Amino acid sequence: MNKSFVAIAALAVCAVSGQLSAQSTNDENKALLSQIQTDKRAIVLKGLELTASESAAFIPIYDEYEAERKQLADRTVALLDKFVANYESMTDDAARGILKDWLSLEDSRLDVTKKYAKRFEKVLPAPKVLRFVQIENKLDTAVEMEAVRLVPLAKH
Amino acid sequence: MNLSELALALVALTSPIVASAEELGLVTDEQILLKRVMEDKRSVYAASLALSDSESRAFWPIYDEYEGKVKKLDDRFLELVNRFAAEYDTLSDAEAADMLKEKMAIEKDRMALKQSYTHRIAKAIPAKKALRYAQVETRIENMIRRDVYGLIPLAH
Repeated sequence: MNKSFVAIAALAVCAVSGQLSAQSTNDENKALLSQIQTDKRAIVLKGLELTASESAAFIPIYDEYEAERKQLADRTVALLDKFVANYESMTDDAARGILKDWLSLEDSRLDVTKKYAKRFEKVLPAPKVLRFVQIENKLDTAVEMEAVRLVPLAKH
Repeated sequence: MNLSELALALVALTSPIVASAEELGLVTDEQILLKRVMEDKRSVYAASLALSDSESRAFWPIYDEYEGKVKKLDDRFLELVNRFAAEYDTLSDAEAADMLKEKMAIEKDRMALKQSYTHRIAKAIPAKKALRYAQVETRIENMIRRDVYGLIPLAH
């Protein structure tokens, strides 16, 4: 089993075994994001089954893509910090700000995927780019599912 | 119907991946399944948001309008999945590129819809409850995506 999925599974167990405070949840989310970044490259490269020449063309662009994704991950951590800081006494203004940042972050993530899919199409056969997007979608969903589920719902 | 069943119902709708919807009899069941999913989501939100009477009067018409538009995007996605299934063994570069473009377009439209309606909801009910709504919506979306993506084979 890949380390990322061990991390996800561990977090899932934590979620059902006890009540997590907003702070501890945030700490675990940061650990999860860090772990995923470490393991993801290997998962994607293995999943794509590239030839040597395809790898040589793909990897430099992929590394640029991951650097942009890292900036989005940093924004996610900042957003989680903001949520945690406001959790106990969330005002409507704070909630509105968090919502705005969150939606903007999701939109940025989509834009980055779209931008790089176009670049990948110039160096890889389109079915492999489609496969890349499918792998990315699966990984993003697995990570986000655990991260979002561990963040407590805003209080009424 | 609980949330897991809700996800399963949507997965059932994507079964044309392995067999045509018609062969599985899902065409005739589709409306029933979708109706059940929509009804269940409403009860999830009703329980989670604990809206007052006046908040309910403001929230539900916007929510229903949003769900109606999301349904059209779901239909587009199912159509794309059916195309993918039909072309899977002989997927050409041109077909894959076109499917990728359509997938990105659907995701972008879905994001625009989510942004627009979440902001409208945040103006209609307290922002804290709108944030809570967005959290629940994201959890449901992720659950459905996980099951749907898990069912679709990777392009090759």
